[in-house]
Amino acid sequence: MNYRIGKIEGIRTLTKSIKEYEIVLDEPINPEPGQFAMLWIPGVGEIPLSFADAETKRIKFIVARVGKVTGHMHDKLRAGDKVFIRGPLGRGFTRIRGGRALLVAGGYGLAPLYFLSRKLRSMECGVKALLGFKSDDEIFYVKEFEELVETEISVEHGSSGHRGTVLDLFKDVIRVERFNMVYACGREELNLALIRKCLRMGVPVEASFERIMRCGAGICGSCSIEPLGIRVCRDGPVIDGSMIAPMLEAP
Amino acid sequence: MSPDLEVELAGLRLRNPTILASGILGSFYGLMKRVEDAGAGAITTKTVTREPREGYPNPVFVDLGFGYLNAMGLPNPGIREFSVELRRAAREIRIPLIASIGGRNEEEFMDVAGRALDAGCSGIELNLSCPHVSGYGLEIGSDLQLACSIIKAVKSISSKPVFTKISIHQARPDIVSRYLGSGADGVTAINTIRAAAICVESMTPILSNIIGGLSGPCIRPIAVAAIYEIRRELPGVPIIGVGGVDGWRAALELILAGANAVGVGSAIARKDLQIFGEIIEGLRRFLAERGFKSIKELVGYAHRS
Repeated sequence: MNYRIGKIEGIRTLTKSIKEYEIVLDEPINPEPGQFAMLWIPGVGEIPLSFADAETKRIKFIVARVGKVTGHMHDKLRAGDKVFIRGPLGRGFTRIRGGRALLVAGGYGLAPLYFLSRKLRSMECGVKALLGFKSDDEIFYVKEFEELVETEISVEHGSSGHRGTVLDLFKDVIRVERFNMVYACGREELNLALIRKCLRMGVPVEASFERIMRCGAGICGSCSIEPLGIRVCRDGPVIDGSMIAPMLEAP
Repeated sequence: MSPDLEVELAGLRLRNPTILASGILGSFYGLMKRVEDAGAGAITTKTVTREPREGYPNPVFVDLGFGYLNAMGLPNPGIREFSVELRRAAREIRIPLIASIGGRNEEEFMDVAGRALDAGCSGIELNLSCPHVSGYGLEIGSDLQLACSIIKAVKSISSKPVFTKISIHQARPDIVSRYLGSGADGVTAINTIRAAAICVESMTPILSNIIGGLSGPCIRPIAVAAIYEIRRELPGVPIIGVGGVDGWRAALELILAGANAVGVGSAIARKDLQIFGEIIEGLRRFLAERGFKSIKELVGYAHRS
């Protein structure tokens, strides 16, 4: 069977709609930052989740309440419960060695970037993270990032950090600082806007995309970014900005 | 001179005998374009129905190691919306596009086929064999009279070749000759086989639909037998062989049994789109080493022994 058995070790409430799940698997798993797993709860459903962290058998997911399975996780899962994990799947981030990396996250898109920042730090990279949130009460994981890397936050409606979107903050930062690589994860519009800007400036960029996934194996076609035929579950979820370029030609 | 891989299939000319099997990736223009670029000889679309279908909730796919189990539930946007993708594909993709059609009755099949033909598909494949969707596929195909009337009806409006995709249960020469008698130009054999898997840890079925279709290397011997028997009894029938094609040897095995062309499906889960190139190169090398000029010489070759 293609599932590993995971036991929920701890659940932490991060905001009113986001929780963190620490899971211990029956076997070690060695995902790259940016890769994902399909998490199956028998009788409920199966969803894709990016690894927010992983160390041998211990993994973390950051889960926003969006649908049936995530709702069940938020409401019903308790420490000690079992879940089933298939993965790691897809293509993760390409890690630079040395140089400076800029991480740009929209909301819970920070999950794979947290895992990435842990790995980048051990490769002697200078890392700066920009985390965007909608409001003050949706802010989370800032301390975790600050312990690892230089971190700035933006809030659209609130009083913390920079006022505005993370895209605004990104534009301000990229105007004065130079980076060898930009890593992004957020809503598709944010990813596309960041890719467009980076390509114009000649800065390499990779973004992690989120789509409804079915097979997770690259054969059903449900998660294709059209008209390019890029399967988010197989060719992604991390996609090099240059692959998206043909979609961005129109303004 | 490099051996010739071109094949002819009920009037369709394929640059090589590999065909993207139905249900795999053939849902959007961009994906189909990538399959063409990967080297495929033809493309079968994902099955399209008259009305949009959501399909089943996850899990829909299980990698069993020795094969694959899936129950997608024929998700598709319906023929009206899909026609847009198909039209663009027909305009920009040069290899033949076979539209896989599903329906619950003759009228639905006619409607969908008519629109797919209008959109410019090169051929039609009638899904009379999907094993896990109530009211569709095998449930329609099991009724021989109904299947024949659907074939007759679609053929009456189609100047393009019409293939009937059959399950192992329909893979009998007597049934296939009834299909041909009703106007089918060829058969696609075989569809996935009705199957299920239960997770021992959770003690529950894995697929949300419980029942799915089994594909992959484990069904190849079943496909080989089906193709072999149809070829033996019906020497002239165009056959698209499908079932466990995971490399050039498997493709060749189906061809030797009698397939004119072979479908490639779930093996993409393991080998990705490079599998088309791998099969093409493998076949070419084999032909050259054994001194054959054309892959056509090997269709049904195993019947000589």
